[in-house]
Amino acid sequence: MSGEETRNTGLDLEDFLEFYLLDSYEQIDRLSSGLLQLERDGENIALINELFRCVHSLKGSSGTMGYTPIVQLTHTAEDLLDRLRQGKMQVTNEIIDVLLATSDKLKLMLNQVEKRENIDTDYEGLLSQMQALIETGAVAQKSVSRRSEKPADAQPAEQTVAEFEFHLEPDELEEVNKALLQNYNIYKVRVDFAPKTMMKSVRALLVNQRLEQLGKVFKIVPSIEELDTSNTEYFHVLLATKEAPKDVRDDALEISEIAEVAVTHYSLSEQLEKHSLKSASILTEASETSSNQEKATAKETVKETKQNSGKPQDNAAGHQVHTIRVDTARMDNLINLAGELVITRTRLVKIAEDLKAQYPSDPLVNNLNETNVYFGRLMSDLQESVMRLRMVPIGTVFSRYPRLVRDFCRKTGKKIDLVIHGEETELDKTVIELIGDPLTHIIRNSVDHGIEAPEDRIALGKPEVGTITLDAYHEGNHISIVISDDGAGLDLDKIYNKALAKGLISSVREEMSERDIANLIFLPGFSTADQVTEVSGRGVGMDVVRKTLNDLGGTIDIKTRRGEGTSFIIRLPLTLAIIQALLVEVRDEVYAIPLSSVVETLLIKKKDIRTVGRLPMVQVRGNTLPLISLRERFDIPEDDEPREEVYVVVVGLGERTVGLIVDELQGQQEIVIKSLGDFLSNQHGIAGATILGDGKVTLILDIGTLIQDTLVAR
Amino acid sequence: MAEEQLVTFTLGQEEFGVDIMKVQEIIHIPPITRVPKAPDYVEGVINLRGNIIPVVNLRKRFGMTTDQESELSRIVVLQFDGKVFGVRVDAVTEVLRLDSQAIEPPPPVALGMDSHFIRGVGKIGERLLILLNVERLMAGDEQNEQIA
Repeated sequence: MSGEETRNTGLDLEDFLEFYLLDSYEQIDRLSSGLLQLERDGENIALINELFRCVHSLKGSSGTMGYTPIVQLTHTAEDLLDRLRQGKMQVTNEIIDVLLATSDKLKLMLNQVEKRENIDTDYEGLLSQMQALIETGAVAQKSVSRRSEKPADAQPAEQTVAEFEFHLEPDELEEVNKALLQNYNIYKVRVDFAPKTMMKSVRALLVNQRLEQLGKVFKIVPSIEELDTSNTEYFHVLLATKEAPKDVRDDALEISEIAEVAVTHYSLSEQLEKHSLKSASILTEASETSSNQEKATAKETVKETKQNSGKPQDNAAGHQVHTIRVDTARMDNLINLAGELVITRTRLVKIAEDLKAQYPSDPLVNNLNETNVYFGRLMSDLQESVMRLRMVPIGTVFSRYPRLVRDFCRKTGKKIDLVIHGEETELDKTVIELIGDPLTHIIRNSVDHGIEAPEDRIALGKPEVGTITLDAYHEGNHISIVISDDGAGLDLDKIYNKALAKGLISSVREEMSERDIANLIFLPGFSTADQVTEVSGRGVGMDVVRKTLNDLGGTIDIKTRRGEGTSFIIRLPLTLAIIQALLVEVRDEVYAIPLSSVVETLLIKKKDIRTVGRLPMVQVRGNTLPLISLRERFDIPEDDEPREEVYVVVVGLGERTVGLIVDELQGQQEIVIKSLGDFLSNQHGIAGATILGDGKVTLILDIGTLIQDTLVAR
Repeated sequence: MAEEQLVTFTLGQEEFGVDIMKVQEIIHIPPITRVPKAPDYVEGVINLRGNIIPVVNLRKRFGMTTDQESELSRIVVLQFDGKVFGVRVDAVTEVLRLDSQAIEPPPPVALGMDSHFIRGVGKIGERLLILLNVERLMAGDEQNEQIA
């Protein structure tokens, strides 16, 4: 299918493309998570209807955009779902499988649309599979007309089977929509003729004229021309009016030979949803009718549902979250400016302090300081609000895992239940983008090496179905993400031996705590997997996982118990760009240490430092604290005069602590983290840089890598 | 007739030229913060209106002897592909246009420096300008070597 065929009116559609993609991805996500739920629930007519609507909507909008391959594929899927919802077919694993495969294919096709590539047309296999299923299903039942007046499944909530529906063309829907937005009521008026009425069409015409005086008649079904030839005793009118139903009915009944008129409110939300390009599914929106408004409100509901993870939700049912799409570049700009404000404010504070020292009782100076304090509060609020702009709930990342785990289970034959908590926990956007891969890798490992095969679990007295739990929560100024399973736990012996064999460590086993041994799996070049399975072992090792997390300023830790299971605990800082830091001095170089990592500061005598192995240590309240000399680490020349006492900044990540030996402590300050640029971003021990009030660049220490280096015996 | 516009500067006795489109600005030398464990030709980083960019000591990069800073020393801020970095030079001479005809390919024998960085030699009267390949001055991958 060539590129030209995929666009029919060229320019106009380009505007809609972004919106189309957003909406379509949304539908596909709902489709696949709905399918997973359907698999668990078994039969669920409401859910199947929801899925049908998703596919139908997708078909509709794809048709408008001219993406014929997508229309073809969705059409057959829609067919299949239609039969399911009418009860003509039962839900089977096979059906779920093929529908899931179809939704994957559709997602792929949407990707291609997004990248302006030609759309794949190799979905023949899926089409024939679905058609085969439909055939075998159809054999068991006689085919019935789609919209019968008799309820097929006695589901009172389901309109399409029991009640009369108007089938409106897109332009007709537009008209109706406009009326809605102008606060008209939409009624379905059923008009019954008296028995043996002659010239029904004339009567209908009269009714029509009468109704036209009350408002606008959109449609008459069957049409007036058909009325005479058809045998029907009644017809339906779609009317927009501001009159009350009773008045409409009274008016219509005045025409002779009309036996009965029934006027009911008619809900178009379903049909409007299907043609999502042109309509708003919020019927209560009573504002301007500009097309921008329509687009905006439809986008709003799409954005809101995007926040939900896993379960398909009704647009109109949930509360309205008003959102607006913003270019990330603009947002980053705003955040930069906020950062600059923070730096400048710090300078202002310093100047004010100096002034105060010079003129302690000058009222003007006091005024300045007061204003400064207030300004400071405003700045903090501004900062927080700006940071919030970039926060996204982690549910958006978690939502892909149910499917992942399900697929892994199918492949490996294991039975696993995935439990997710804390989807509302919010993380910075950049973190969200980067954290998916590490999480995926850990979950894969859990499935592959953690959870045992069903038979083994039973033999061990465990429940046949293993459990993997994903949890995310705030803890102080960190976010913790915990992935735990009730599987076999890590085999510490195997790990130790493997590390030894690969020459990755040289410590004696007794010196290493269980935790240290478990953490060996993060060393580059490590893997106890005897075979690289299809599921894990793609060359993305645990070392890359840890590195990614460290780059984000976070850490990962392991708790494991043989036979009981393993937990991976990931900690990430809440805010990325602006942090509190402790400034330290070594000779005349100043460094910044993120305050969140600082446990305490000590002043120790140089002679108290002992060397064990090759690492300097000191005793602090009965515990041994390993030390790192920043001077040594950073090649800073020795002081001319030897010191007797040195400052030690005790830093920690998780439960591991290390002491950094420095010359002076300068004080605590809020700093804006800036990247070291494209060329220097991988310096060991340096996380980034900041610009202090005096305009000089100060380097920020990377506690993570500094600590890690002490673990690996040099 | 194709021609190039260059910014020329001196390092010791030699004169060099870089494509003017790759020169973002020329500044006085601000305080430079040393970056530990960085390659030795990276003098450090500076604050350029809120952005942090590395500064390369070209003498060290080219394997020349280092010299005193003079009043005329400047940092020429270069950019390519959206990446920005600065190079320290002894003095900036001028901006000139050079006919492509006057440019010769780099000589096979190195001019006392790594010919990796040279993309050609330009002649103006008696002056020889060594035309530099900006992209190669700050090779990306080399930076990532960890001295663990």
